[in-house]
Amino acid sequence: MGTILQTKDLTKKFGDFTANDKINLTVEEGEIKAIVGENGAGKSTLMNMLYRQLEPTSGEIYLRGQPIEFNSPRDAIQHGIGMVHQHFMLVPSFKVYENILLGTELAHDKLRFLVDHKKEQQECAELIKRYGFDLDVNEVVENLSVGQQQKIEILKMLYRNVDILILDEPTSVLTPQEVDELLLQLKELKAQGKTIILITHKLREVMQVSDSVTVIKKGQIIGNVKTSETNEAELAQMMVGRKVLLTVQNDHIGQESPEVIYTVNDLTTNNTYGNIVVDHVSFEIKKGEIYGIAGVEGNGQSELVKLLSGMMEATGGTVHYKGEEITNLWADELRKLGIAIIPEDRYAQGLCKEMSLSANSIAGSTTSDAFKKNGIFDFKRIRQHCQELIDHYQIRIAEFEGNVSQLSGGNAQKLIIAREMNRQPDLLIASQPTRGVDIGAIEFIHQQILDFRNSGGAVLLISSELSEVMSLSDRIGVMYKGKILGEVDPLETSETEIGLLMAGTIPQEAVVYEK
Amino acid sequence: MKSNETLRNILNSVLPVLLALLIGAILILAIGENPLEAYGIMFGKSLFTLRGLTNTLHAAGPLLLTGAAIAITFRAGLFNMGVEGQLLIGGFMAGLVGAYLHIGNPLLHKLVAFAVGASVGVLFALIPALLRAYFRVDEMVVTLTLNYVMMTILEYLSSGPFRDQGAGYVTTPTIDSSAMFTRFGSTRLTPFFLIALLLFGILWFLNTKTEFGYKIEAIGKNPEFSEATGLRVRKSIIMLILVSGAIAGFAGAGHMMSQEYKYTLSFSGVTGLGWDGMLVSLLGSHSPLGIIISSIFYSALKTGADNINMYTSIPKEIVAVIEGIIILFLSIRFLNERFGLLEKLSKKKGEKNEPAL
Ligand SMILES: Nc1ncnc2c1ncn2[C@@H]1O[C@H](COP(=O)(O)OP(=O)(O)O)[C@@H](O)[C@H]1O
Ligand SMILES: [Mg+2]
Repeated sequence: MGTILQTKDLTKKFGDFTANDKINLTVEEGEIKAIVGENGAGKSTLMNMLYRQLEPTSGEIYLRGQPIEFNSPRDAIQHGIGMVHQHFMLVPSFKVYENILLGTELAHDKLRFLVDHKKEQQECAELIKRYGFDLDVNEVVENLSVGQQQKIEILKMLYRNVDILILDEPTSVLTPQEVDELLLQLKELKAQGKTIILITHKLREVMQVSDSVTVIKKGQIIGNVKTSETNEAELAQMMVGRKVLLTVQNDHIGQESPEVIYTVNDLTTNNTYGNIVVDHVSFEIKKGEIYGIAGVEGNGQSELVKLLSGMMEATGGTVHYKGEEITNLWADELRKLGIAIIPEDRYAQGLCKEMSLSANSIAGSTTSDAFKKNGIFDFKRIRQHCQELIDHYQIRIAEFEGNVSQLSGGNAQKLIIAREMNRQPDLLIASQPTRGVDIGAIEFIHQQILDFRNSGGAVLLISSELSEVMSLSDRIGVMYKGKILGEVDPLETSETEIGLLMAGTIPQEAVVYEK
Repeated sequence: MKSNETLRNILNSVLPVLLALLIGAILILAIGENPLEAYGIMFGKSLFTLRGLTNTLHAAGPLLLTGAAIAITFRAGLFNMGVEGQLLIGGFMAGLVGAYLHIGNPLLHKLVAFAVGASVGVLFALIPALLRAYFRVDEMVVTLTLNYVMMTILEYLSSGPFRDQGAGYVTTPTIDSSAMFTRFGSTRLTPFFLIALLLFGILWFLNTKTEFGYKIEAIGKNPEFSEATGLRVRKSIIMLILVSGAIAGFAGAGHMMSQEYKYTLSFSGVTGLGWDGMLVSLLGSHSPLGIIISSIFYSALKTGADNINMYTSIPKEIVAVIEGIIILFLSIRFLNERFGLLEKLSKKKGEKNEPAL
């Protein structure tokens, strides 16, 4: 068999940002290669370079030992490399076979300018049979489930006879049953001699189908292992990193009379596909305590944060804050009650890049009267407020009147933290507070969180950076498949124990939530 | 940064106009006339004589409002293309109030007509607003389509049940004189222009000084951020489309009471006040000052057409040509705003995102 695809020092930069850093990937012919890594690790970027949708900044790609020269996805397909994207590219009003053949319609034997629908239907039906898919060629795509639409995307590639099939997070949109079906399908394709590259961050899937695994973190390969020689816990640790990067001093001071301030009880919700993504989650946070949530990304943490910060609705369960029920309140109402929110995605949820610094500095408070005089904005006060935040939190700006887009990642994050902490909250919900910011800002942010805790504040910290959760938290809940699987004390637990929990196994010593 | 943006907006608006005038000038030259003289007459008569200026301002009144109706939704990233239909139903219903309810008191009569006009504008806008907010149906498609539905319905109503039987053409009865705005002296200008200006000023104020404007800007620029900071995006979308409908209906009522006095099939003019409003808003970069300037410029162009006809041998269609060219340039701009056209075209190879198939 041998190596079918290889990259040598493949690098991709977006401006100053290095999304892929000297990647040396080897894929063997006929194997299922799993690529795992957190969101933003650079998996899609790497695949898009293989599929020739992105131009590498430097480095080479070898196909069967030959450096590749082609330059577009169309050529890539011709050379046998096909890719199914995270987002489908189907025409909803077309039938299944029309979508499979889109762009390569079969002409009628005699009337060359007409499409031979009969022949197309036949060929597609044969194709579907050959690969053992279960699909009706004449169904209109908009009537199909997400899983079925994905099959069409795969069939599109198979019809074009690719040898290597790249699937970018194919399971993230599927129901559990559909996932199982897809995994079986992939094994079948492998049996027929196809090479498959599967991107996912669900470790169970990796263990179930893959032959080898490559772990990517922050644009670099940090591990290549044979699936048979590893386990979920080890992979989970590799993905979230084991390096403890704490530079601030955490004294883990306990409060004298710990008073519970925040109670989440049986919180549950579905995503838009109807799958349960947060599953009866319960926990409490006391004053002067940091409660951390760890877990491999995609296990419901994002949704939990959205539920708790007024961006998503719970279908069941309650949230209490200072004895008052606050389930499903709006974001501004939560803030008025003294809850500070640092959302997961800085530029999508935390700030508006195209608005001014001062407009961003009052975000979340616009519905209250804090910055108004008789219902009219008091711009003088708003500017003054913004300047105070900038001075007090040492935010480096270029131009006061300019937009947020001028700020670096770390300074943008500082602006959010400044805005949120300035309201004198009693509870802080911080999601991925240091993602993608520089070391200096990380230290600053960690210090802010600890200072807040030490002055009696309660913190909910959600981070995919295990070292961050481990070093800051006083207690840690580990999420797996939408549930909090177990709770551990960071001073007493081991990485192995957390790793097992993150992989869905409950070790003996862990405190298990009674349900 | 800010001033750069303003400069770019101004250029964006002035360039299409200059280019259109330039192409117009070439055409005028081709006919063998002097373009400078023609433009001089056109703008001179419509802006620099009392009669011309008042005519121009009078015509600018409804445009100011339809322009504002478009602008508030566009700024929020919504595309209410239904201003024309909302204006028509507003005007029509105000016409019925004016003709059938003999209220007598001039102030009250007009108030009722305005209230009815604005309300039906809101009701009509409710359809796309709810479809958009609850089912994510593209409001652009819905509002565009509904315009034609509304035109057809009003055509039926004005030629059937509400037709003025005495008239030799399709029209509703003329409104009572208590529902007519009186003109200032011998000009065509009426208090409605001042009312339009006042309403426009209020909108401007709300837009720059209150939460209303903050919401519009934030939702237009980043809906997810708006949701995350508690701005109730869905509710705001409904509200904005409804406010837009109210302004359009109000403009229709004003046009009825200050200019048309009855609903005919050409109530809203050849190009349609709602469509003109879109042009005005695009030309003015959806900014308050921009809309004032562009609505006056645009109606000067229209009033000027008659003068060109009267004082030169250039056919007045030249103005339609100039308008057409401006519209062409602005459509490019609109497509760019709506679909990011230029960005897609200028995307470098290394960053392309389209699939091969
Ligand atoms: N076109 C782009 N321009 C700038 N940055 C990009 C672009 N595409 C991806 N990135 C950045 O590169 C990093 C890796 O992204 P991606 O490959 O999509 O990650 P993954 O698929 O592993 O989640 C992210 O930080 C992302 O923000
Ligand atoms: Mg990706």
